[in-house]
Amino acid sequence: MTDFLGNLALGFSVAFSFNTLFLCLIGCLVGTLVGVLPGVGPIATIAMLLPLTFKFDPVGALIMLAGIYYGAQYGGSTTAILVNIPGEATAVVTTLDGHQMARKGRAGAALGIAAIGSFIAGTFATLLIAALGAPLSGLALKFGPAEYFSLMVMGLVFATVLARGSILKAVAMILVGLLLSTVGQDLETGAERLTFGWQEISDGVDFAVLAMGVFGFAEVMRNLENPEARDVVRGAIGSLLPNREEFRRSIAPIARGTLIGSILGILPGNGALLGPFASYTVEKKLAKDPSIFGKGAIEGVAGPESANNAGAQTSFIPLLTLGIPPNAVMALMVGAMTIHGIIPGPQVMTKSPNLFWGMVASMWIGNLMLLIINLPLVGLWVKLLKVPYRLMFPAIMIFCCIGIYSINNNPVEVMLTAFFGLVGYGFYKMGFEPAPLLLGFVLGKLMEENLRRAMIISRGDMLTFVERPLSAALLAVAAILIIIALMPAMNKKRDVVFTE
Amino acid sequence: MQGNWQGGGHIKAPQDLAAGVFLIALALFALWAGSNLNPGTMRAMGPGMLPRAIAVLVGLCGIALIVGSLKWDGPPIERIPWRGPFFIALGIVSFGLTIRGFRIPLPGGIGLTTPALGLIGSGPLAIFIAGFASPETRWRELAIFTAVMTTFCFLLFKVALNLPIPLAPWLVGY
Repeated sequence: MTDFLGNLALGFSVAFSFNTLFLCLIGCLVGTLVGVLPGVGPIATIAMLLPLTFKFDPVGALIMLAGIYYGAQYGGSTTAILVNIPGEATAVVTTLDGHQMARKGRAGAALGIAAIGSFIAGTFATLLIAALGAPLSGLALKFGPAEYFSLMVMGLVFATVLARGSILKAVAMILVGLLLSTVGQDLETGAERLTFGWQEISDGVDFAVLAMGVFGFAEVMRNLENPEARDVVRGAIGSLLPNREEFRRSIAPIARGTLIGSILGILPGNGALLGPFASYTVEKKLAKDPSIFGKGAIEGVAGPESANNAGAQTSFIPLLTLGIPPNAVMALMVGAMTIHGIIPGPQVMTKSPNLFWGMVASMWIGNLMLLIINLPLVGLWVKLLKVPYRLMFPAIMIFCCIGIYSINNNPVEVMLTAFFGLVGYGFYKMGFEPAPLLLGFVLGKLMEENLRRAMIISRGDMLTFVERPLSAALLAVAAILIIIALMPAMNKKRDVVFTE
Repeated sequence: MQGNWQGGGHIKAPQDLAAGVFLIALALFALWAGSNLNPGTMRAMGPGMLPRAIAVLVGLCGIALIVGSLKWDGPPIERIPWRGPFFIALGIVSFGLTIRGFRIPLPGGIGLTTPALGLIGSGPLAIFIAGFASPETRWRELAIFTAVMTTFCFLLFKVALNLPIPLAPWLVGY
C-alpha cells in the first residue's frame, strides 16, 4: 500500500511539472481536434499526430501521446453524438442513444455525461493500473519464451473472436499480418526475407506506414465513395451539465460501465472493444423500461462511454507490464515508444519508474483536462463538424503525408503508404477487417522471437507449450474461447452484439 | 447496387471467392519469394521456417473461403469506383516524389529525377491531384483552402516543431 501511494506520488511529481502539464494539454486538445473530424478514428489520429511528439523527451512525448489518445477517443464520442458518425467500432454504441438525445435537444447533456462518465471511469482505471502494474510486472518476469508465445496466441484468439464479421476472414487477416511481420532481416541470421533486395524494407515494413495506409488512406478512399450525407445536429446544444434527474439515472450505469470496461480492457486481444457493447446490453437488461433505449436514454450513453474510456485506459496494462499491445491503438503506441527508444515491457517499470508512473499519473490528468477543455470548447467542435468532407480529405491526406515523411525523412515510405492504402481499400472490398491484420503484424516479430527461443530451450519439442503450467493454462483459455466462438448458438449471439 | 457481381452457377458468395483467390495468390507469392530461405529444423529454426509455415496457413484459409463460397450465400462483389483510390494514391505518391526530389531508377541504368519542391510546393500539388478524387470538389474553394493549409503546415511543422522536412529548396535553399 505504501508502495502504491509512493509510486503514485512519484508519478504526480513527474506529471505536475509545467512542461508535462502543457504537453498533456496540447495532446488532449489536438487529439480532440482531429478526433472530432468524421471518419477519422483514434488510430488515424495518433498516426497523423505522431510527428508532433518527436521534439520532446520520451517522458513528455509519451504523455503527449496519451493525451492525444484520450482526446481522440473523446472527439470520436462527440462526433458520434452530434453527427451520428462513429469514428471507430466502439463509438457505434454511443450513436444509438447519444444521437437521439441530441435530436431531442439534449446534445449538451449527452456530451456532458459522456465527459463526466469518462472522467470517473478514467480515475478508476488509473488507480487500477497503479495497483496492478507492479504485481503484473512481477508475473511477467516469471514468463519464459513459451509463456509469452502462448499469451500472444491467446491474445490473437481473442482478437479473432472479437472481430466483426467472419471468423475465418479475421484469422486470415491475422495470418497475413504475421506474414507481413516476417518481411525484412531475420533477427538471428541476418538473412534478408521476402525483401527482393529492396533496401527500404530490409528493416521490415514500418508500422506507421502500414497503419496509416490500411487505416488512414484506405478510410479516405472508402469515404469518398459515399456521397456526403451528414446529419449535424442543428439548433441548440443545450446546457452541458445534465440535470438532476439525468444525473440520478446515470450514476449506476457509470459505475457498472467502469467496472465492465476496466475488466475487459485488461484482456489481451482487444477486449476493450467489447466494453461498450457489453455495458449497453447490461443496461438494457437491467432497465425497468428497456423500450426507451435507442430513443435517447441517457443510461445508454453514460454506461458505454464509461466502459469505453475505462477499457481504453486499462488496455495500457498489458502493454506496460507485459510489453504486449492488446489492440491496434496500443500497437501504434509501441511504434511510438520504439521511436523514442523505449521497448515496452516489464523492464520499463523498473528501469524508468518516472516514465511509467508519470504516464499513469498523466492519464488521470489527461482525463481531467478533457473534462475541462471540452465543456467550453464544444461550440468549436460543432463548427468543425460542419467542414465538408471535400475539404477535409485533402487536409487529412496532407497531414498524413507529412507525418509519414517525418518519421524517417524517407520519401519512399510515403509512397509505400499509398500502396498500403490501396491494399487496405482492396481488403475492405473483399470483406476483410484491417484491425486483426495490424495486431498480427505487431505481435508477429515478438511471437517469432519467443517461439524460436522456446524451441531452442526445449530442443525442438513442441510439447513444451503444454508441459509448462502457465503456458498450458493460457493455451487452454484460447482453446476454450475458440470452441465457444464456434458454437452455433454463440455465433448468432455474436452477430447480434455487433449489429445491435 | 449497379454493377455488383452477384455470382452465378455454383458461386454463392462472390466476395468470399475473391478473398479466397487473393489469399491463395498471396500465399503462393510468399512461398515463391521465400523459397531460397533456409527453414532449419524445429530445434534450430531458420529464417525460412515461419514465412513458409504462415504462407501455407494463409493458403489454407483461402481454400476454406473458396469452398465456403460455393456452399453458403454471401455478399456480392461491390462495384469499384476507380476515381477516388486512384487520385488519392497518385496525390500521395506525388508528394513522396517531389518533397525532396527522387531518382526513379529506370531499366538500362538511366534514372528520372523529380524536382525537389519542398513542403510549399509538394503540399499544394498533392492536394490538387487529390482534388480530382471527389466529384464534389470546387476548385476555387480548394485553391483558397490549399493556401490556408500550406501556411498552417508551414507554421506548425517548420516554425513551431522545426521538423527537418524540406520547405522550399528551390526558393530558400532548404
